[in-house]
Amino acid sequence: MWKMQLHYGFDELKNFDFMAVIPIILPFIAVGIFLVLLALIDLYRYRKTRESVLMWTVIILFVNTLGPILYFVIGRKDSERL
Amino acid sequence: MNKFIVLLKKEFVQMLRDLKVIWLPIVFIFLGITQPIVTYYLPSILGALGGGQGITIDPSMTAQKGGEVLAATLGSQFDQLGFMILVISMMGIIQTDKANGMLAFILTRPVTVISYIAGKIVSNYLIAAFSVTIGYFVSYLYVNYLFTDVSFSHMITALLFYLVWVLFIVSFTTMISTIFNSQGIIALISIVFLIGCRIIVGLSPVIDFVNSASMSKHAMEVLISGSVNSKAIDNALVTLFWIVLILFVINYWIANKKVNHE
Repeated sequence: MWKMQLHYGFDELKNFDFMAVIPIILPFIAVGIFLVLLALIDLYRYRKTRESVLMWTVIILFVNTLGPILYFVIGRKDSERL
Repeated sequence: MNKFIVLLKKEFVQMLRDLKVIWLPIVFIFLGITQPIVTYYLPSILGALGGGQGITIDPSMTAQKGGEVLAATLGSQFDQLGFMILVISMMGIIQTDKANGMLAFILTRPVTVISYIAGKIVSNYLIAAFSVTIGYFVSYLYVNYLFTDVSFSHMITALLFYLVWVLFIVSFTTMISTIFNSQGIIALISIVFLIGCRIIVGLSPVIDFVNSASMSKHAMEVLISGSVNSKAIDNALVTLFWIVLILFVINYWIANKKVNHE
């Protein structure tokens, strides 16, 4: 079963010309990572005053694109009341 | 006028503190890049990962024109995720001031309600327009690189049309934020109403005429067909009329102390 999936997934990827793709996709990935890093750094700086640091870390890391945004909009506001 | 500048500055300091100046443009750059890249690589991604033995991919998909892809950036990135993010980032625009008593405090000062509202809307519109413009330009660069060239004048015209719609989004969210007290309800009402507006575009010419969301459609039309719809100017004027009406409602609501600040 696993072999089947590998065949469909990764074997086919070898036909993919990665070197041609990287210069185009790199800015895309960089922007995404920058957003995540910005949120994480901010969370780390104010870790003392934030309510649920662990929850936000998980959300920022694993909820694609929307995680950091949710943190900036909702996650930062909670701290002001403290 | 002087007070307006002071309130404007206060808003920008607040945004700087919220890091909104940094993350909102980045989000829109991200959205702007997504559409051209995904459109460009969709056939090869499907071919590589879809277990695509026996699937033929329509070659016309890769042969899209630049204008169509740029229009799709507006239509399917900015008009969906982008504008939800915009609304969510602005849902507290007046509601936070009501909640922490800032609004009541400001109104005890010799500040006119109009300059307060203007400061709010102008500052938020500037940051929203800046983000949308940056994201759009990045998308434009990518489209020109990966697809056919889009002429600069079409690009600017479409952007101007789109910014009118953004202005409507900002002022509508401000109005809802003035009237309601819970952030969740504000976000829900604004998003549902504005998405509703966006969906019913194109149903009937009469609705289109009074619907601000058709500005977004006009922007896409300019990019796809290269000609400006003659109704676009009328629509822009109607939108401006709506915005003035919204300003009156906000002004009335705040001036008559209908805001109950707990």
